[in-house]
Amino acid sequence: MSLAMQTKINLSEMSADRAQPQRSAVTPPIRLTRSERMRLGTIGLIGFIGIWSLLSLTGLVPRQFLPAPHEVLIRFIELLGTPFAGATLVEHLASSFMRFAYGFLLAAMIGIPLGLLMGWYRWLDDVITPIFDMLRFIAPIAWVPFAALWFGTGIGGPIMIIFAGAFPPCLINAYRGARFVNRNVIEAAQMLGTSNLRIVTEVLLPASIPSIVAGLRVSAGLAWQSLIGAELIVASAGVGFMMVQAQAGVATATVMTCMLAIGLVGLLIDVALRQIETAIRRRHGQS
Amino acid sequence: MTNNRRLIVGFATLAVIAAIWYVMTEATGWISPGRFPTPLDTWDALSQVTFGEYANGALYEHAFHSVKLVLLGFMVAAGIGVPLGLLMGWNSKAEALINPIFLLIRPIPPLAWIPLAILWLGLGDAAKVMVIWFAAFVPSVVNSYTGVKAIDPAVIEAVRMLGTPRWRFIREVMIPAALPMIFTGLRLSLQASWTTLVAAELVGALYGLGRVLNVAQQDIYPGMILVGMISVAILGWATTMILGQVEQRSLRWMQVRG
Amino acid sequence: MASIEFSSVGKVFNRAGIDFVTLDGVDLSVAEKEFVAIVGPSGCGKTTCLRMAAGFEFPTLGTVKVNYRDVTAPGPDRAVVFQQFALFPWKTVAQNIELGLRNKGVPKVERQERVKNAIALMSLQGYESAYPHQLSGGMQQRVAIARAYVLEPEVLLMDEPFGALDAQTRVSMQEELVRLARVNPRTVLFITHAVEEAVYLADRVAIMTKRPGRIKEIIDIKSVRLAEKWDEHERIEDVMDLESFVHLRTHIWRSLREEKGSQVH
Repeated sequence: MSLAMQTKINLSEMSADRAQPQRSAVTPPIRLTRSERMRLGTIGLIGFIGIWSLLSLTGLVPRQFLPAPHEVLIRFIELLGTPFAGATLVEHLASSFMRFAYGFLLAAMIGIPLGLLMGWYRWLDDVITPIFDMLRFIAPIAWVPFAALWFGTGIGGPIMIIFAGAFPPCLINAYRGARFVNRNVIEAAQMLGTSNLRIVTEVLLPASIPSIVAGLRVSAGLAWQSLIGAELIVASAGVGFMMVQAQAGVATATVMTCMLAIGLVGLLIDVALRQIETAIRRRHGQS
Repeated sequence: MTNNRRLIVGFATLAVIAAIWYVMTEATGWISPGRFPTPLDTWDALSQVTFGEYANGALYEHAFHSVKLVLLGFMVAAGIGVPLGLLMGWNSKAEALINPIFLLIRPIPPLAWIPLAILWLGLGDAAKVMVIWFAAFVPSVVNSYTGVKAIDPAVIEAVRMLGTPRWRFIREVMIPAALPMIFTGLRLSLQASWTTLVAAELVGALYGLGRVLNVAQQDIYPGMILVGMISVAILGWATTMILGQVEQRSLRWMQVRG
Repeated sequence: MASIEFSSVGKVFNRAGIDFVTLDGVDLSVAEKEFVAIVGPSGCGKTTCLRMAAGFEFPTLGTVKVNYRDVTAPGPDRAVVFQQFALFPWKTVAQNIELGLRNKGVPKVERQERVKNAIALMSLQGYESAYPHQLSGGMQQRVAIARAYVLEPEVLLMDEPFGALDAQTRVSMQEELVRLARVNPRTVLFITHAVEEAVYLADRVAIMTKRPGRIKEIIDIKSVRLAEKWDEHERIEDVMDLESFVHLRTHIWRSLREEKGSQVH
């Protein structure tokens, strides 16, 4: 840089740079202490429940359509013992959960082995992937008419819907897990003369377990959600069916009770799987 | 080339499936036409709903109706969800205030809101938009939030060192940095929107592809069920593709290779 | 005339309810257009010193002044070059360099001129519209240095700027920086753990004690460099061969090793 240029720059710096004082610049992100966090969180929750109560209790929204929080809670406790639409809340939940468990296990039992095999055998990958890509864009819930037609509305139909929701993450995560196994490990196994099938079961499967378990968690969430959808449309029992019945009778508190129950069970399923996931990850040394 | 190979095997697979479909239904009748339609049944159903009417309307009317509701719900959700997520990601006070409410509501799957939406807003469009909004909202917020949280602290220090004004920071640093995650969220939101729409229309609607599925199920008309499913899949695919294009355009800097 | 002034600076960090004294009475002043390097055992708080001058952190005790003003916030008058570059991946090289000038409200024509000069200064011609991820680590750090230099800052704060680079790139960047310091001298505070780098680049080297950090010793390099005519050698390895260089380096090594004490195996 020539001296002349430098002088020019320095002069211009004085004229332009000094002319404008610092405007409101970005401030660093605030760090909250635990107690501040708790306090704000409590305010948020109280505000949420407060507005809800206010809307309901003042009659701004008709009580019939928006019961107050405590009324939902009372209804929740009532329904634990009192039958509604043929069964108590607990019984409805139990029958929903059974369907969920069947559909979910079926999806895992088919999806995981298929995913692993696709990760090892190229031809299988080439054959399944286009079919899978084609079916992927069909929302699980869109299978409802065929599910009802093929398996009825009792147990079979809903299970098929759950299966449709739960299957893709099982397959994809097993496949990815198998594809991203360290090549050295596979080559070491091959060097030791391991057969193809044994590589799948004794190398790919254990190495993919973290990925598979992560997939199972996603899968369970989708399965639970698909189940509720299916029960809303075709079912004669279960918590979704109970909701539809309550909706038809304008029993808003009962509808909300069901939502609460669905949320709680969904949360429990997720927490349980998360526990398993952390335990497995720890055993695999990737905390 | 491997890409070519995949394409060939892919097409071959689909051709084989079509052939099996034909043989199993039309040619041999091993699968009863009351359970799964023959190719010809499907064609008949398609021309009936395309040139005539089924379930109160032609195919394009149903499709248009469904797409309209999905886009409406999706856009409102993204329009509110992304800014809220950005705010929660940057401002820890907003995060602390709102997060517990989220934790309370999030475990309830969007589909479980359908009865309440119908109770509140009836069987018309408003209820569907509400449920779609709900389904699309959560992924938009969560991913935008994660995107901001993941910004390299050194980049924020560089921004401060350079004396960047707040608004310029938001526009030129925070949003571009979070954009890949924002798009991940939008893709999930769009997917959730379609799922929710179909469910909501199956539960009760006057128009829309879900309505077609519903009526076809009641009529035990497998050809029409298949047409309805394929239509939903194609529209879902098309909207996802459009979003993907927007994403690629917005994230051009990531695509450039050195 | 002191450009950066640390007076009896103490810093206490709180981690999970436990206080850690990081700095305990740091006194150091950097004169205008002087290049001072701080070396010290890892964890001694040398980076904390730089971050306080930058305005990212503040002393618990004592004061940090730049040009006689207390440091209250980061700003473009104290440009920082980060170890991990901290470039904006979605901005081109030119846009990265330009941002600070835009923030200062420099008019467009002049801005372009200054960006062009900075690009030329760091030999980045031809890469103006490249994105950072397309460049090698060394090139990225050139962009980061250009981004700092273009602001014509009063002081330049460099936090192990070559720490993330491979050995060869590192050497060429060191030579580059020496060239730059001759063409366009700035007040520089330079943090490093590499002793050779400090001796080669700096006018003075401050050695810190292990935690809690204090300035143990300040070595004058400049007088030796001028007396022994280091500048006549263009390559770093020629300078490093000089007896005067070896002597200074060994002295600093010894001093540091005493600090590491039991830490060294």
